[in-house]
Amino acid sequence: MADRGTIRLESLTRSYGRVVALDGVDLEVRAGELMTLVGPSGSGKSTILRLIAGLDRPERGRILVDGQDVSRVPPHRRSVAMVFQDYALYPHLTVLGNLLFGLRVRRVRRDEAERRARAAAERLGIADLLGRYPDQVSGGQRQRVALARALLREPTVYLLDEPMASLDAPLRFATRAELLALHRDLGTTTVHVTHDQAEAMTLGDRVAVLDRGRIRQLGPPQQVYDEPADTFVAGFLGGPPMNLVPGGGVLGGSPGLILGVRPEDLILDVDGPVEVTVDAVEALGSESILLTRTADGTRLTVRAAARCGLRPGAAARLRPDPARLHHFDAETGRRR
Amino acid sequence: MTSGRDRRPLTAWAFLAPYGIAVGLLIALPALLNVGYAFTDHTGLTRDPQFVGLSHVRRMLDDGFLLDSVRASAIHLALAVPLRLLAAVGLGLLLAAPRPGGRWFRVAVYLPTVVPDVALAVLFLWVLNPLYGPLNQLLGLFGHAGFNWLSEPGTARVGVALMLMFPIGEGFLVVLAARRMLDGRLYEAAALEGCGPFGQLRRITLPLLAPVLLLLAVRDTILTLQVNFVPAYILTDGRPANATLYLPVYIFDQAFEFSGFAYGALITTVLMVVTASVITALLLVVRRWRVLR
Repeated sequence: MADRGTIRLESLTRSYGRVVALDGVDLEVRAGELMTLVGPSGSGKSTILRLIAGLDRPERGRILVDGQDVSRVPPHRRSVAMVFQDYALYPHLTVLGNLLFGLRVRRVRRDEAERRARAAAERLGIADLLGRYPDQVSGGQRQRVALARALLREPTVYLLDEPMASLDAPLRFATRAELLALHRDLGTTTVHVTHDQAEAMTLGDRVAVLDRGRIRQLGPPQQVYDEPADTFVAGFLGGPPMNLVPGGGVLGGSPGLILGVRPEDLILDVDGPVEVTVDAVEALGSESILLTRTADGTRLTVRAAARCGLRPGAAARLRPDPARLHHFDAETGRRR
Repeated sequence: MTSGRDRRPLTAWAFLAPYGIAVGLLIALPALLNVGYAFTDHTGLTRDPQFVGLSHVRRMLDDGFLLDSVRASAIHLALAVPLRLLAAVGLGLLLAAPRPGGRWFRVAVYLPTVVPDVALAVLFLWVLNPLYGPLNQLLGLFGHAGFNWLSEPGTARVGVALMLMFPIGEGFLVVLAARRMLDGRLYEAAALEGCGPFGQLRRITLPLLAPVLLLLAVRDTILTLQVNFVPAYILTDGRPANATLYLPVYIFDQAFEFSGFAYGALITTVLMVVTASVITALLLVVRRWRVLR
């Protein structure tokens, strides 16, 4: 049981017409792992999920679940459960009807099916909603119904397609923690797709950053954040994004390089070597984001304390943390 | 601000007025007059119709032809509505998915609806011809001797219903549009659960389309009780043995050929009552079976 639920993708390729959605993706998800796929829209992350689920077929490459090639296996024989982006609840069925749907299709006896559905509803705290229809419950509750429905499949692999995209911000924050707890509780392999980088950082043992059908970097979130493999990952993960400056500019370095520094690694310091003018101040309450410009026109974003006392038009000096400077190849964008 | 809010319903009524006036003048008023005429001796040419009380009603209760006519209409209803719905829904669902060449099939399904019903009826005189009609030739391929379609009561009824299975374009379009509005992910979710095409039809498509199907059934019931006039007139003229003497045909015969407006008006009222009771029964069944949420 312990190593149930490994997924291996081998040079997976899929295109739609002339658009290449996936371009030779190799990925290994460990048993029990929570893997997050993150990337801009059109990067192929949802395609990966659909291929693992069997809703779509790869043109090339293989999908192995528990070491078995399932590329040609129909979806319902794959032991995967999927939570769709807008949950895809059946609008004509009550919450209970939605939970019973799969069990009834699999010919579980009525009373047994009902017992299991109620247990799953209990677990997700929606037991009092069983008689309602999907359009009579809130977005967060709908998500729980979708999760309960997935739970009832008792799958080897959970696939979550942007499960929080339609929730508002405070709910997202609470749901993130609950989803993590649920995953820890179940210990089942889960692949989670998001375009939200806060989710990518907080959910997931490892995160795979995708761009245009390729995996740009794979690793634990903190590691990907600390050592982005290329300029795309550097710019995509983290908000506000990393400052990228051509070598020989205000951050030093030789031409042929691109230097990167995160906004929080630019420290306001009266003795700092970089002189800037503040263009705008975004006060976020707990901190301020300064949009600044150097004499040669380079824009630098700085994360500063909440009440730093700077106003637009003010001059300031910055000191980049030398240990936190990132060097990328100007040609390839790869980390050096 | 309040005056603007007050004026808004007035604006709506103003826009509705032309339609309301037309419905009143062209439908409600004649329908009321129709009920009134049923109790007079109006022939359509009478200058000063006189009230004759229940004499037409008494005559109607003894009218064996009317009984035949109601029976013919009922059988036609039971035959044609399910067939037409089945054709419209079946073809609508089959052709809703984008497929290469799909649009040509959709055009083909809609085309008979554009054909004037008289022309379609004349075409069906040929289709149902026992000697050289294609339908009997088709049956011949399976070793069947074929039918003398329009001269036997049973096959004549089927013949008319067959013809009316073709002009189903509107129902077809409604089903097509309604099916295309259903969320494709519901089907993916069902496929993940192991629900096959038939299960998806039964558990997702039909329940979600139920309101539309009910609407089509009601509409088709009203329509079917009336549009059989042209095919019956051209194919069979109510014969054989009054098998296709549908109510509209009998109304026409009585009003314009035999008895005049008054008796025709009375039977028209009967047709209205029959239509209303069938639809009421339909809605009661729907509520009893909880077809709608």
